[in-house]
Amino acid sequence: MKNRFLQGLLAKAELGPLILLIVEIAVFASLNSDFISILNISNTLAFTVELGLIALAMTLLMTSGEFDLSVGSVFGFSPVLMWTLANSGATSLVVAFFVAILIAALIGLINGWFVTRLKIPSFLVTLGMLLVVRGLALFMTNGFPQRTWSASGAWLPRILAGEFYIGDFRVYASIFWFLGSAIVLGYVLTRTKIGNWIQASGGNPNAARARGVNVNRTKAGLFVLCSVMSALAGTISSIRTSAANPDSGTGYELEVIAMVVIGGTALTGGRGTIVGTVLGVLILRIMRNGIVFVGVPGLAYNIFIGAIILGMMALHSGLERRHNAGA
Amino acid sequence: MSEPLIRMERVSKSYGQVKALAEANLTVGESEIIGLLGDNGAGKSTLIKVLSGAVPLTSGEIFVRGRKVSFKSTSDAIAHGIETIYQDSALVTQLSIVRNLFLGREPLRRPRFLNQMDHAKMERVARDLLKRVGISKDIPPNTPIGSLSGGERQSVAIARAMYFESDLIILDEPTNNLGVAETKGVLSFIRSARDSGHSCIFIAHNIHHVFQVVDRIVVMRRGQVVADDIDPRHTSVDAVERVITGMSEEEEG
Repeated sequence: MKNRFLQGLLAKAELGPLILLIVEIAVFASLNSDFISILNISNTLAFTVELGLIALAMTLLMTSGEFDLSVGSVFGFSPVLMWTLANSGATSLVVAFFVAILIAALIGLINGWFVTRLKIPSFLVTLGMLLVVRGLALFMTNGFPQRTWSASGAWLPRILAGEFYIGDFRVYASIFWFLGSAIVLGYVLTRTKIGNWIQASGGNPNAARARGVNVNRTKAGLFVLCSVMSALAGTISSIRTSAANPDSGTGYELEVIAMVVIGGTALTGGRGTIVGTVLGVLILRIMRNGIVFVGVPGLAYNIFIGAIILGMMALHSGLERRHNAGA
Repeated sequence: MSEPLIRMERVSKSYGQVKALAEANLTVGESEIIGLLGDNGAGKSTLIKVLSGAVPLTSGEIFVRGRKVSFKSTSDAIAHGIETIYQDSALVTQLSIVRNLFLGREPLRRPRFLNQMDHAKMERVARDLLKRVGISKDIPPNTPIGSLSGGERQSVAIARAMYFESDLIILDEPTNNLGVAETKGVLSFIRSARDSGHSCIFIAHNIHHVFQVVDRIVVMRRGQVVADDIDPRHTSVDAVERVITGMSEEEEG
C-alpha cells in the first residue's frame, strides 16, 4: 500500500516541478540571504501573479489541445484602450475597463471562431491575432505610452491592484485574483463536467464529439477566457505601475506557454494541471529574480530558462512513456 | 406485426465510381444478435458506417422502430440508440475509465450550477459495470484508458453502450487481437447484453466466434445482402463459408 502511494506520487506530473522549485529556492537563498527578504519576495510576487493569471487560463486552453500566441498583445492593448477611453473623457475609468475586457472577449471569440469553424491551426490564427492586436495598440497611440493618472482613490483600481501591508510585507490585491482564479480553474479542470469536456476535447476530439461533447464551443470558450484573463492581467499591471505602453507584454506568450509546459501540462492536449502551472509560474519568475541576485548577468537568463524547459520536457516525456506502458 | 428495431431499405453508397453498397436491405429485431459476415470488400464496413452515421448514404432509407431517420453524424445515431464500437473504441486514452464511461453524460451533484461531477456515483456504477464485463479484478475505475489492454478497452466501450441503454450495439471486429480469455469475456458480455434487451450486430472475421453467440447470420457480397436468415444452430460453418465466397450459387447454377 505504502509502495503504491509512493509510486502514485512519483507518477505525478507535479512532482518534478515541485522538487525543482524547492532546489531553486534553496540554491538562491544559500548564495544570497537577501533573496528571501520580505522586500524581494513582495517585489517578485507583484509581477509573478500578473503573468500567472494568463498562465492559468492558458493551462485550460492547452489542455483542450489549443494555444494562444496573442495573449501578450492583448496584455499590452487592453490597458492602452482603457486609458485612451478614460483620458479622452468619453467614459469613466470603470466603464473603460469593462469595454477593454469586452473587446478582449471579442478577440478571444474571433480566435475561437477561426480555429473551430475554419479549422485553421491555433498557431497560425493566434499569430495573426498577435500582429493585429499589437498593431492596433501601436496605431491607436502612435507608439507613445498613454498618460495614466494616479487612480489609487477609485474603487476599481483598489480592487484590482490596490496595495496593503501585512506587517512589513506589502501585498497587492492581484495576488487574491491569482489565488482565487487558481482555485476556481483548478476546480473546473478536475471536478466539473466542463473540465471533463476540456480534457476529452484535447485528448481525442472525435471520440468526444461522438459522445455529444460540444468540442467547438468548449474550445471557443477557452479562447475567450484566455483573452479576458490577459486583459485583466494587463490592466492590473498597468494600474500597479502607472504605465500603459503599447508595446508592453511583447514576448509574454512564449514565457506563459513555457510556464504551463514546465508545470506538466501537455502541449498536445488532453492532460493539464493547475497546480503544476502555479509551480511553473513560480519556477520561471524566481529564476529570473534569483539570477540577478546571485550575480549572474541578466542577459544569461534565457540560457537557464531554455535548459529548464528542455530538462522538464525530458522528465515529462519519460513519465508519459512509463504511464502508457502501464507502470 | 410490430416494426423491427432497425430496417434499412435499398441502401446504396458510392465512392465516386465505386459502388460500395448496392441497394442493400437489412432488418434487426428487438433483443437479437446478428452476425454480419462477408469477404473483404463485401460492404460490411460501409453498411455499418452508414448505420452509425459515420458516412452519409447515397440513396435508400433507414427506419428506427418504423420511424424514418437520417443521421448526419455519429452523435445523431447515438441519440437514436445506435452505438458503434470500433477497434480503437473511441475512448479518450488520457482520461480514466470512469471519466470515459460518463463522457458527455456526466451526472452532476447538487447544487447543479457548480457543475460538479458526482464522482461517488460514477465510481459506484463503474465498479458494478466492470464486474459485469469481467475486468474488475485489479483495475480501479480511475485507471487511465491508456494503460488498459485492447480487450479491456473493448469491454469498457461495450459497458458504456450497455449502461446508456443503447438499443443497438454494433461491434466491428471486437474479438480481433484479443486473447482467448478476453474473447470469452466479450462474447459472454454480448450474450448478457441481449438478455437485458439490447440488440447487437456482430462483425468478425473469425466465423467460429460468430457462431458461438449470434441468433441469425447475414451474409454480404459485392455490396448486397445475399442471405439474411441463416440459423447458426441448423447450419454448418462450411455451408456459411460457401455462401460468403459465392460457391453455393455456382454449385446450384
